[in-house]
Amino acid sequence: MIKLNPKLSQKFSYMFLCLAAFLATTPVILIVFIIIKNGTSVISWEFLLSMPKDGMRGGGILPAILGTLSIVSCAIMITLPVGVCAAIYLNEYAKDDIFTRIIKLAIINLAGIPSVVYGLFGLGIFVMFLKLGVSIIAGALTLSIMELPVIITTARSSLDSVPYSFREASLSLGVSRWQTIRHVVLPNAIPGILTGTILSIARISGETAPILFTAAAFYVPHLPHSIFDQVMTLPYHLYIISTQIPNMPKNIIYGTALVLLMMVLTMSCIAIFARIYFRKRRKW
Amino acid sequence: MVDKIKIESLSCYYDKKCVLESLNLNIVKNEILGVIGPASSGKTTFLRTLNRMNDFDITYSRKGNVYLDGDNIFDIDAENLRRRVGMLFAMPIPLPMSIYDNITYAPKRLGLVTKKVDLDNMVESVLRDSSLWDEVKDRLAASAMKMSGGQQQRLCIARVLAINPEVILFDEPCLSLDPISISKVEELMVELKKKYTIVLVTNNVKQASRISDRTAFFLMGKLIEVDKTDKIFVSPKEKKTEDYITGRFG
Repeated sequence: MIKLNPKLSQKFSYMFLCLAAFLATTPVILIVFIIIKNGTSVISWEFLLSMPKDGMRGGGILPAILGTLSIVSCAIMITLPVGVCAAIYLNEYAKDDIFTRIIKLAIINLAGIPSVVYGLFGLGIFVMFLKLGVSIIAGALTLSIMELPVIITTARSSLDSVPYSFREASLSLGVSRWQTIRHVVLPNAIPGILTGTILSIARISGETAPILFTAAAFYVPHLPHSIFDQVMTLPYHLYIISTQIPNMPKNIIYGTALVLLMMVLTMSCIAIFARIYFRKRRKW
Repeated sequence: MVDKIKIESLSCYYDKKCVLESLNLNIVKNEILGVIGPASSGKTTFLRTLNRMNDFDITYSRKGNVYLDGDNIFDIDAENLRRRVGMLFAMPIPLPMSIYDNITYAPKRLGLVTKKVDLDNMVESVLRDSSLWDEVKDRLAASAMKMSGGQQQRLCIARVLAINPEVILFDEPCLSLDPISISKVEELMVELKKKYTIVLVTNNVKQASRISDRTAFFLMGKLIEVDKTDKIFVSPKEKKTEDYITGRFG
């Protein structure tokens, strides 16, 4: 064993930790940089707002953008109420018994399932068993199940962040439990739930595997009419044009990636600003 | 002298550990009953049993009966009981809303007052009763979290008055307050006993001697002695009481 003097070892560990932090950020910076550099040339209103042409080698990506937006918004509309209600039950009502523990364990495990398994599960249950077909609603349901544990966890930590004393003060006035939750706990937990939800939206916008078998189409010549339509989606479209189409212009691939990336980053930024805003406004 | 609350052989437990042992005690209408005793003597458990705030603690269990005007409080609906037996906590806990909303919160939820005019009148009258009106009448819409500690505690009293209870429980209400605020809250309690029955748990023996009509001394979960405050402080029957109030222990 070589013995370093304290000063030198301090210096070494500082450099080592610093290097690790730097390594962690380089991929992000590189990805964003390369995609922006190669993709910006194709970004135009026409690219964003028109249908694909020439076997997707030209034209725009409007159907894919709309497809992703519709699946994601449907998924959030399903997962948010269910997740928040489940979180309220677990946090405010459930006794700490075996039943509750099983639910909590199930939620933790739900978060650990690989996304492609969700995709196959959605194919089995929603597409085939419930006969929803490959459609927006089948994809949204699959995504909503996948996102449920995340929503429940963020909602629970938001509920936890409301001091217990507020509940006590309200209950001591003869106000019922539900009214206490509805008028004191929830209004103060909503900022946290909201930022968590925006981050969830960002996360599921980029998911490919769960919608691969349940919602996504190779090419649809028209825009979606109803939630029972198959749609093109940005992540799947990106996969197709990068691997399945010969002589695909590289800049369109990068442009599509850039649109997807910007969608996700914008959501994250909104979440960050919302958090700063609510933290400033917080009254306790 | 009419008994407002009658406690019969009440025992309380946390996880089977006895914290209050076969307590028998009457609380007289329109009196201030001071409850003194060192830490872990069961004072707060006793107080929180009277409006069943302990029910939320799953490790808590109890035996015995408590009667409020002849009704067994463990038989009547807990929410209804808490409306009749209001409570003040050691730390002032205003809800994170405006001063006005803090007061109207419970009456609105309970459906006691609904019209805007009645709400306005009620806010003014309870704020006057808690001698806070002159200080806050121009900023009722301001957040209650921005008030001083003493004002917050008086707002909490106003909030309790707004549900028009019969009994008010004070759990060391002056613990976090400065001397001037303390004297204001004490004056208020003396004023309030005309209309309400008051139970005051306090660590401050002097406070009990100043304002309570009768004083009960708790030690290790047992009621050692209860009597007129003058008697307790001048010639207590029990040696332990004398030791505690003269500051020999606790």
